[in-house]
Amino acid sequence: MSARNRRAVIAGVATSDYPLVPHMSEHGVHGQAADRALADAGLTMADVDGLATTGFFPMYATGVAEYLGLHPIYLDETNTGGSSFEVLVEHAAYAVEAGAADVVLVTYGSIQLSQMGRRLGTGGGGGAGFAPGPAIYDALWGNTLVGNYALAARRHMHEYGTTAEQLAAVAVTMRRHAADNPQAQEREPITVEDVVSSRLVADPLHKLDCCVISDGGAACVVTTAERAADLRHDPVFVLGAAHATTHHLNLSAMADLTVSPAAQSGPAAFARAGITPADVDVAQLYDSFTITVVLTVEDLGFCAKGEGGAFVEDNGLAVGGRLPTNTDGGGLSACHPGMRGMFLIVEAVRQLRGQGGATQVPGARIAVAHGTGGMLSTGATLVLGREAP
Amino acid sequence: MTARWFPDEMPVPAASAETAGWWEAAAAHRLVVQSCRACGATRHPPGPVCPACRSTAWEWTTLPGTGTVYTYTVVHQAFIPALADTVPYVVAVVELDGGAGTRLVSNLVDVHPAEAAVGARVEVVWEDMGPDLALPRFRLLSATAGGGGAS
Repeated sequence: MSARNRRAVIAGVATSDYPLVPHMSEHGVHGQAADRALADAGLTMADVDGLATTGFFPMYATGVAEYLGLHPIYLDETNTGGSSFEVLVEHAAYAVEAGAADVVLVTYGSIQLSQMGRRLGTGGGGGAGFAPGPAIYDALWGNTLVGNYALAARRHMHEYGTTAEQLAAVAVTMRRHAADNPQAQEREPITVEDVVSSRLVADPLHKLDCCVISDGGAACVVTTAERAADLRHDPVFVLGAAHATTHHLNLSAMADLTVSPAAQSGPAAFARAGITPADVDVAQLYDSFTITVVLTVEDLGFCAKGEGGAFVEDNGLAVGGRLPTNTDGGGLSACHPGMRGMFLIVEAVRQLRGQGGATQVPGARIAVAHGTGGMLSTGATLVLGREAP
Repeated sequence: MTARWFPDEMPVPAASAETAGWWEAAAAHRLVVQSCRACGATRHPPGPVCPACRSTAWEWTTLPGTGTVYTYTVVHQAFIPALADTVPYVVAVVELDGGAGTRLVSNLVDVHPAEAAVGARVEVVWEDMGPDLALPRFRLLSATAGGGGAS
């Protein structure tokens, strides 16, 4: 077997039912997404020899393996928060290229909305319940997850003149894409005025600057180009990947609140893929909050630092715009079950296959999926392509 | 007894080997920062190793207690139920004078949210949360309103 034939590809993708599945368990969501992704690839659970998944308690992947009836020879449950699934796919790509596994199933499942209800709208991070580590230096002040992103947004406004209306433009475009996604949690069109007049959660972030809270899961199958050759779909190649971290959970330790870890992971992933930002046809960017997207388009190099506000304005992120982004409606409108990174990968693959439906980017050849985790703590960039490198 | 701005039902820190001295200083209303004894770099939150030079030798440096607002947010929806009646309140990241760029996440108190501003000059005020726990919060240096018990 030549090394070239072991090039990592994504052969199958799927989402579970979402955004609300009160009748399902968390493992049930994993199982549904996994079965669908394998069927999409033209494989069965018997073909799987690797499992990558993560959640909010230790030995998580082991539990999912037991539920799925798997005895994998490759297991990964790396947790970097919201960027975890980009990291898990990066690792899976290395694993299949190295011969450590042939077919790695990457699954995500959450019943966050059914389990905890909407009262978690401000997010748990920074609140009570964190372990007594450095993070306590945030919790003592009544800071919240939204508050942390608001601190970054305020600093970005101060340094670069970014406006609330520019941030709102991100939410407006995501909602516009969600209108074409029948599964999306929120599909009613909104305007910039709607966003900036929605109630403030943590100034300058309004309710509509924040992602929705959902149930749901997604999965993909990572294998080799050789194994994928006779499967159902043309494979999507993992062209390059990288991840980075700047701090744990306390913003006292983040050097510059306007620069996310994407500034490291993006250039590294693009270099490994042999591309530049100008080569990217469609992007799936973690949109926990509108500011997350503004920082990410800057840090990945789609525009200069400080110009993110202008970049996302005037439908800059819409299909047909400067950088078609989150074509399924993103976390701001489609669904956000807690660690949404897997959904970014599924939508990127669908776009490269031409399965994007009404929000298909015509002729998309190169897609980027970028996850952001923690309190802007981690970033992971995946570059995917329709053609072999 | 100092003024109170936040309720008793706030999270209580559990000190570690590196943070105990910080909390002890705070209980005595002294704002300190951890400084590397080898290279002088400061760091927060307190940790075991200097990120700049890897030295494990460190000491506490007492700071003047003034600083500049690096960024802030006005929290309108609290996560901790006990804060439901405290909103809106201001969470700020304060760049500490004498701390070589070291920042602290804290609160601005005795301030109308509209008065909060990046770049504002602030000074520490202490809130005694319990017999052994005092927290440094900040108020605008220009503020003359009462309520804060700066020590």
